Amino acid sequence: MALDIDRYAHLESPLQRWDPRLKIAALGLFILVTALLQTIPMAMVALICGAALLGLSGLPLRFISHGLSFVLVFLLPFFIIMPFSYPGDPAFHWLGLGFAWEGLRLASLIFLKALAIVMMTFTLFGSSRFDISMLALQHLRCPRVVVQMLLFTYRYTYVFLGEMRRMHTSMRARGFIARMDPATLRVYGHFVGTLLVRSFERTERVYKAMLAKGYQGELHSLVTFRAEAADYLKALVVLAGGVVLLYADRAGPWRVAAQGWY
Amino acid sequence: MHISEGILSAPVLTAGFAGTAVLAAATMRKLDMEEVPKISVITSVFFVASLIKIPLGPASVHLILNGLVGVVLGWRAFAAIMLGIILQAVIFGHGGITVIGVNSVMLGGGGLIAYLVWQQRFRFQLKRRALVFGALAGAAGTISSGIVLALALVTTGEAFQAVAATVLAAHVPIMLIEAAVVGACAEFLQRVKPDILAGQQGDRAGRAAG
Repeated sequence: MALDIDRYAHLESPLQRWDPRLKIAALGLFILVTALLQTIPMAMVALICGAALLGLSGLPLRFISHGLSFVLVFLLPFFIIMPFSYPGDPAFHWLGLGFAWEGLRLASLIFLKALAIVMMTFTLFGSSRFDISMLALQHLRCPRVVVQMLLFTYRYTYVFLGEMRRMHTSMRARGFIARMDPATLRVYGHFVGTLLVRSFERTERVYKAMLAKGYQGELHSLVTFRAEAADYLKALVVLAGGVVLLYADRAGPWRVAAQGWY
Repeated sequence: MHISEGILSAPVLTAGFAGTAVLAAATMRKLDMEEVPKISVITSVFFVASLIKIPLGPASVHLILNGLVGVVLGWRAFAAIMLGIILQAVIFGHGGITVIGVNSVMLGGGGLIAYLVWQQRFRFQLKRRALVFGALAGAAGTISSGIVLALALVTTGEAFQAVAATVLAAHVPIMLIEAAVVGACAEFLQRVKPDILAGQQGDRAGRAAG
């Protein structure tokens, strides 16, 4: 599984060129607006916006396919459970269960919004180098220590992913087959324990190396941010879009759930 | 098991972020400089370990291991789990940005409860104390997360009651799996490198908790 979110950060597009501070602030608010939408037509507009941003950034579709498949797997059960469990009068009965259109509408709404947000999130963090995104977060008043830990964690995730794959390969070479039985669970417990012991010893080495290089609780970067008129203009366009979307959603003529939703 | 974008209502999302801010501030007090790389590295281990899949019938389940984070990091477990959730939302699109708060309270809170359970182990005279209390902590971490998730769904709307019940029922087998894995892992660590475990008497994990 490819983890590096920023492997397309070098592409040239209006999104890659956008000042990451303004990009995170503006798209972050737009994502929030999307999460709060209550009507299907506006959720569709949000989905189109998400797809447009993704297209504009030049990120290939397969880059986000993993995230999209997660949404599919997580949300498909909603299409089955919600129409049959929605409180109120069912439209018709099927196999003794009441089917309510309102439940189907809610499931579709959730699905559209989640799809739109996943597209926007991948566009947002896929179009800048990860360390620059994190530095931008720090400029946006995200606590320093949280940003530092995010960078460390991101860095070491790749190391341990490699380690885990090696350990897994050697386990299988010794004849281990994963089943659903107590023995497998015990082996996995020891597996995680081994991974922990190794990483714990690594932390001590890493920390000493950092101290030797003069670490005093702060990370320094050579990156400087510079926002120009075009950066502000992009942020303004996105924010205006968000306001219009939210207004149309709340004031529009589209039907909102009678009960059970907001 | 985390909740996806687009489901929960605005008040629930806001409550999630508020709860996360409070819990993070309370559990990250007096953070040593030395702890920053340690928490981060252990977070990445859990991040990676949560990719382990165990076959279950025709499908497979992921390990969650938030109980084990509590057993290893004590109060600092909340910070570690929150970081893991932020990274998962940003890198994988699992969970999502607007639900970072709710997911942190759900899984991080479970980690803290697991730690509280784990700390009870010295009250009992048991031969395989680490195994038993590791398993209990693993189970407590998972099921309390399931309860928080169910509550978040029910609070969002009546329409979600059946979904919440399904979610809670699905947590029971996961809880048993987690209990077995975390118990085995805690016993392994007790034997191999006990100072990794949180709240060992008189070690630094205990000091961090104080």
